[in-house]
Amino acid sequence: MTTEQAPRSAGDWHVPDDDLRSYASGAAAPPWLWSTEAHLAACQACRARLADCVDPAAVTAGWERLDARLDAPKPGPVEAVLVRLGLPAHTARLLACTPGLRKSWLAAVAFTLAVATAAAHVAQSTTVPTPLLAIAPLLPLIGVAISFGPHVDPSYELAVVAPLHTFRLLLLRCAAVLSTTTLLSAVASLALPEYGPVVLGWLAPSLALTLLSLALTPRLGPVKAALVVGLGWAALLAATVRVPTGESALFTAPGQAGLACTAIVAALAVWRVRSGFDTARRLGRPVGQANRRML
Amino acid sequence: MTTSPTQAGTATVRADELSLRFGRKTALDAVSFVLHDGVTGLLGPNGAGKTTLLRILATAIPADSGQLRTLGADPHTAAGRLAVRRRLGYLPQNPGFHPHFTAFEFVDYIAILKEITHARHEEVRRVLHAVGLDGERGTRIRALSGGMRQRVALAAAILGEPALVILDEPTVGLDPEQRLRFRELIANTGEGRTVLLSTHQTEDVMTVCQQVIVLDQGRVRFQGEPAALAAVARGRVWTSATRAPGALAAWRTGAGTYHNIGDPPPDADLIDPSIEDGYLTLIDAAGTVGQPA
Repeated sequence: MTTEQAPRSAGDWHVPDDDLRSYASGAAAPPWLWSTEAHLAACQACRARLADCVDPAAVTAGWERLDARLDAPKPGPVEAVLVRLGLPAHTARLLACTPGLRKSWLAAVAFTLAVATAAAHVAQSTTVPTPLLAIAPLLPLIGVAISFGPHVDPSYELAVVAPLHTFRLLLLRCAAVLSTTTLLSAVASLALPEYGPVVLGWLAPSLALTLLSLALTPRLGPVKAALVVGLGWAALLAATVRVPTGESALFTAPGQAGLACTAIVAALAVWRVRSGFDTARRLGRPVGQANRRML
Repeated sequence: MTTSPTQAGTATVRADELSLRFGRKTALDAVSFVLHDGVTGLLGPNGAGKTTLLRILATAIPADSGQLRTLGADPHTAAGRLAVRRRLGYLPQNPGFHPHFTAFEFVDYIAILKEITHARHEEVRRVLHAVGLDGERGTRIRALSGGMRQRVALAAAILGEPALVILDEPTVGLDPEQRLRFRELIANTGEGRTVLLSTHQTEDVMTVCQQVIVLDQGRVRFQGEPAALAAVARGRVWTSATRAPGALAAWRTGAGTYHNIGDPPPDADLIDPSIEDGYLTLIDAAGTVGQPA
């Protein structure tokens, strides 16, 4: 840094060439750096001289960096929440377009749970909140079915042929859907403290139904698999519910243990059929008409 | 007219006797061909099996039988599919978009799916620049015109400098100016890599393709240079003042004369055939002309 003193108060003072070169190369240090910058902001002549001192490639690179920063996409509300929760930005982007995370879907889930909770309140004579326990497991099942597949994901065909394994993308979206529905169901359960721990009886069937549906997806497609499992659940409930009390063996300790075992077996089955998610053929007809509806 | 896959050299794609059925319908019937660097056009009527073939090549669906070697890998295995997908660019017939995404966000989403980790945003900017969408990077896809959406899809297809680019009817629905621009983009894309372009437009083939494959009723009817496809109709195209009876196809041209394809009368005024003439002659030989699309 030169020690040459220039008349600082005078309007005709300009940054010396050596200092300008030092500034341009990034070697200038405070406080000289600050005063140079303050002067450059006000002096067009020095800014013009500065341009001659800077490597054109560095200027171009600087503009590109600035452009890239300005151009960087601003995450939407879902993406922003996911990043704030600690997810990597690229994972948040993969999840941002999950239908099961849309406001409309979450509102529908919340409404359904509210109705089921209200129904359980009305039927307080029983020892089990059957309406909530019967309906809550269906919500993640439906949420997962509408989160990935040829008829719900507009860029499904592109996702299938991408190097990122389709099964991984599906698991990511399933985890997101299960997390939100579990959270909402837990909140609904808090509204029924009078039932005690049995109010959490939806958790095991939620996992069991969702995993069973995933295990059947490579064979039936996501929507048909969810439909089959959902109907199976309804039939099971109908077969086990005692009419006068509304209680079901499924929500007793042995019933819950059986559902937990089913979930484990289904999880193993999902792992076994994971390669079935790798191409579109077994997941239904490749996207055609479905895409046209999206835009 | 089918060319067997015996051409020497390093083929990007070598397909041998590929077949696929959907229930009772045979979508592909022992299809064989080879692809090399440059742009290859895939012509064929509706229902010929073009999209099915492209989906097999793009690893979206497997063939029932036959051999396929793509970029040196076997897509019938999981490892082979992954190897192909890492070097593949694909523009499906109906590229779907998440409408709330901007052009940048959508291409970025595909870049994540393609596992582009290094300088991902720079790569997204590069491909959007390559397709001329610098000014629309921040525009929501639902606000873009059909032509611009196709360009967004093409940008996604060329992410990561793929060695094989598969384009399924990318010029459908574009106006003439957009189609011209798109042809230029496709021609540029084909430099130094292999592009397979499915199209109904014989002009697309004539202007940008070095090779052409004609697929009809699930079978390859022709593979060769566009000029060779035109030559298929040599001696079978003539003009006349009135519609020639017995012509396979005939239409009145802007000059007021009739353009006829078929078996010419002895005194016919023969003209040089176009690719379209060659294509129609081939399809006629297969018995497809005149059938509803």
